[in-house]
Amino acid sequence: MALPIPAEVEAVFREFRTCEFSTLAADGTPITWPMLPFFRPSTGQFMTTTSIGLPDKAFNIRRHPRVSLLFSDPTGSGLSEPPAVLVQGDAVAPDEIKTSIGGFEDEIMLVYRRQPAGAMYTSNPATRWFSDWYFMRLEITVTPRRILWWEHGDVFSPPKVVEAIHVG
Amino acid sequence: MWAEVQRHLQEFSSPVLTGVDGDGYPISIRCAPELDETQHVLRVSLPGWTGIRPGPASLLCHGHNQLLWDLHSFMVRGTLTPTGGESWQFRPTRFVPGIGSDGLAGMVRFALAKRRAARRYLQRRGLARPRIDWMQLKALQARARQSSAPPPQPPE
Repeated sequence: MALPIPAEVEAVFREFRTCEFSTLAADGTPITWPMLPFFRPSTGQFMTTTSIGLPDKAFNIRRHPRVSLLFSDPTGSGLSEPPAVLVQGDAVAPDEIKTSIGGFEDEIMLVYRRQPAGAMYTSNPATRWFSDWYFMRLEITVTPRRILWWEHGDVFSPPKVVEAIHVG
Repeated sequence: MWAEVQRHLQEFSSPVLTGVDGDGYPISIRCAPELDETQHVLRVSLPGWTGIRPGPASLLCHGHNQLLWDLHSFMVRGTLTPTGGESWQFRPTRFVPGIGSDGLAGMVRFALAKRRAARRYLQRRGLARPRIDWMQLKALQARARQSSAPPPQPPE
């Protein structure tokens, strides 16, 4: 299902290398870390993953599904003066550890194309021992409820907003 | 903790401040904090449209280069209080190092800590440590190298 958003916002979802992904901790503190987001235009949802070595995001989502994704750093995207975009939505993070590339081949290929130096983690037995935890992943799916964007990233102007999106 | 915030924050011009809005969702915005050295707080300006609520908040600083490398990040937990108009103060309560914030030694500590966290995750579920199919990943890397276009450049 296509989201009712302009092409320049969809380009941000497709081309930005990272987003700032926020979950709510047990005490209600919003916790934000950079993540690699993957937009799925066919469902209008976002997929991301986290390692079981960094499981707090998944724990937070299982308690409080409300999350947000801010796309505000265009470095490496090739986009000129893109909008800044904030997605607020509801997430799920099932307790199922993924270690196979099955089903994620396109996303892993994309990461290796965008981050060629990431190959160092698999380059020899020592780095593999050191980083095997990174490849034990939990899948996170975000269904957007509200999308806000600002032309040229000027967040002090009122945003354009798409509310109450029914996707997924 | 204030000294850590001071030292690391000076490397970033526009951290991401995240609070919670009236609907209970996280809301993030880039900001330009000013350090108040006497009160040990950060002063930020937040536009009215955010609907952000006073209370728990966090500040993330992160960056990467054009090839998604040279990763560095840290986060500060704290509380957000309005001080009038669009002015707010963020009072740091905890510095949380991320990736690349303390050189090679920091990277090693980070990786070992996450390796231990992964072990705990598996132990609590009675699961054996999964084996990663490294050859499959290497094959994907080779395919990615073959299909890679030059890094995109912004239009003139």
